[in-house]
Amino acid sequence: MTSLAAFCLIGGMLSVYTLLDGYDLGAAAISPFLTKTRAERSAVVESIGPFWSGNEVWLVAAGAALFALFPQAYAVSFSGFYLPFIVVLWLLMFRGIAIELREHLPGVIWMDFWDAAFSVSSALLILLFGVALGNLVRGLQLDANGYFLGTFSSLLNPYAAAVGVLAVVALAQHGLAYVAERVDGPLGERALRHVGRLWWLVFVAYLAVTAATVAERRSDLASSPLSIVASLAALGALGAVWWFAGRRRAAPAFLASASFLAGLLVAAAATMYPYLIRPYPGAAGGLTIFQASPPTATLALTLLISSVGLAAVIVYSAFVRRRMALKVTVHDDRSV
Amino acid sequence: MDVVLADRLQFAFTIMFHYLFPIGTMGIAPFIAWYNFRALTTGDRLCFQAARFWTKIFAVNFAIGVVTGIPMEFQFGTNWAAFSAKTGSVIGQPLMMEGVYAFFLESVFLGVLLYGRERVSPALYTASAIVVWLGAWLSGFFIVVVDAWMQHPVGYSIGPGGRIQLRDLAALVFSPFAAWQFAHVVTGAIVAGGFILAGVGAYYLLAKRDVEFGREFVRTGVLAALVSSALVIFPTGDRNSDNVTAYQPIKLAAMEGLFKSRHGAPLAIIGMPDVAGRTLIDPVFAPDLLSFLAYGNFRANVAGLTSYATALWPPVELTYYAYHVMVGLGTIFIAVAAGAAFLLWRRRLFATPLALWALLLIMPFPYIASEAGWVVAEVGRQPWIVYGLMKTQTAASPNVVTGETIFTLIGFVGMYFLLGVLFLFLTLREIGIGPADEPAPGGVPAAGLGAEA
Repeated sequence: MTSLAAFCLIGGMLSVYTLLDGYDLGAAAISPFLTKTRAERSAVVESIGPFWSGNEVWLVAAGAALFALFPQAYAVSFSGFYLPFIVVLWLLMFRGIAIELREHLPGVIWMDFWDAAFSVSSALLILLFGVALGNLVRGLQLDANGYFLGTFSSLLNPYAAAVGVLAVVALAQHGLAYVAERVDGPLGERALRHVGRLWWLVFVAYLAVTAATVAERRSDLASSPLSIVASLAALGALGAVWWFAGRRRAAPAFLASASFLAGLLVAAAATMYPYLIRPYPGAAGGLTIFQASPPTATLALTLLISSVGLAAVIVYSAFVRRRMALKVTVHDDRSV
Repeated sequence: MDVVLADRLQFAFTIMFHYLFPIGTMGIAPFIAWYNFRALTTGDRLCFQAARFWTKIFAVNFAIGVVTGIPMEFQFGTNWAAFSAKTGSVIGQPLMMEGVYAFFLESVFLGVLLYGRERVSPALYTASAIVVWLGAWLSGFFIVVVDAWMQHPVGYSIGPGGRIQLRDLAALVFSPFAAWQFAHVVTGAIVAGGFILAGVGAYYLLAKRDVEFGREFVRTGVLAALVSSALVIFPTGDRNSDNVTAYQPIKLAAMEGLFKSRHGAPLAIIGMPDVAGRTLIDPVFAPDLLSFLAYGNFRANVAGLTSYATALWPPVELTYYAYHVMVGLGTIFIAVAAGAAFLLWRRRLFATPLALWALLLIMPFPYIASEAGWVVAEVGRQPWIVYGLMKTQTAASPNVVTGETIFTLIGFVGMYFLLGVLFLFLTLREIGIGPADEPAPGGVPAAGLGAEA
């Protein structure tokens, strides 16, 4: 029971991370296709500037929670995917300093460089996160201790690549909806129109990945009805994105997009359960939540402490967001 | 190269580079809170501008601290999988609490500090500055709890498969070892923060610009540096030494370069350890003093390195030199801060260029002292990764090879070189622009989003 709660806590933290930092990453990735001037790019950065660091902490805290709650899984997965993990770290660093340092100099070349770094590193991060999730759902070739046996190129299988593409378009849509909600004027309106256009790509990618998941996992999908329900709920939320974007209502479109992502993540987690690291069908090994966790007493205490802390985080984050809610406007280009 | 050595080099490089920035955030955050608080309560324009100026410096520092901190959290898993799997249920705990209780606090309210000047009330703004300060220190505390447990493991039991399990969370978090280590770390950071304030102020006075700010920064900085550099030595440094004496006597012997056990052991002020010859070359000794410092008795017996198997020795030279650099610099800090404070009291400091030059040039040295202190703690802990429980040699990831680690180490070196250059460039530029509303001649106005302008 505590193992299940720990699994849900980490899954929940990673989901919150996806919903929050997802719009930072998505807005950054789509920014070159959305904005027309440097001032508009500044407005996109300003819309996420006060929040991205707090959003990213959800990833750091989830990593630490995995460390505390499932040390074996933490050790095996992080060292098993050594190079991809280090590349993710480098990209996260680039993304972070791009946001923070871009505003420190008024120079044109300076800003353009960091804008490019910001967009490219964010797009690659989404792709890598998507590919990682795809491989976790599909399963991995593992040895008896749970260490990864496959090659780098085996991680880039068609299924994982399809999940990567879905992640890119879905988070780009999420980022557009966020910009539409946060930025006043023509840029916000254009972002909302782009949601309507990108929606079709998201829809096709969703159908393709759903079909591929059924094909990959047909033998055991029936045993996790939650994944089917969550997947259908995600489809409903995706429909709501289309509906609200068409009616020019940014805030509900953003919430619908968040629900869509949440539905996908719940479906993914439900297909993985009870595995933290699932073996590829037919292969041995794998780590379940029961093998990978410390004794119940420790686990329960850790869960209690982190739940109380996270509840406080949610309260004061919401408070700060409300106080900082002033909409962003595009400043004219006179300074650059 | 042995893969464990490659992993250690990578960890040493990334942690030492990263730690330069927490020194700045922990050391500068209290001053930002202080200036904001004074601006709020007195309405003083100078304090308002000072708070804004140091927030800009802090922002660059924090950004680079955050991005270089993320690899630290994940390197336990990537490079030290065996260590993580064995100890994760203990050390994962404070790391998680750091994220949940400190890092969120710091990041969320830093957003207010950087972007909220015109969006939130002055009271909430000042409260955010104070919360960022608390978050920065709390973050440091939880990290020190992890290290203190690796130095002196408490509150654990050994479970199935040799896994180390947490038995008593309170014993872990409230370990006296951690409390004194944290106090030492944080006072060290304020030494740095105080000397940064004083150094930047001295620069403005010497350059004859922003003189009002220069005086304010020098005054506040010198007083903070004087108090904290005293606290670094006593009681915090002293109590840390007591803990080392009690729990890690081999480290103590290496720190002091004491090879042979003796009653009335002398304190080596200087000298070069010759490990092969088991002796200190050209030493200057203070007779009997080590016995007194360690045990409060001039005739007490202090165990030398040769009373332990060489397999249990840490790298003696590195531990010895790092310790002597730290202690030597700590003594110089007190001398410089006391001298400056005396001149301040006599109202002569602002007109004494030599003293201002000393304050300007001392700025890098608190960083060196802090780094050296960590080298003593971590290199001196070898060959253990968890003292007495797990050897470093058995802690690395079993399936990561030397080539991968060296490749990523080179990547980190390149990346951090870029970050270091950017940090110096942007920080020196902000100092060049200065704290006044109207930039000094030749300065460039700050780039403005609406919120910053």
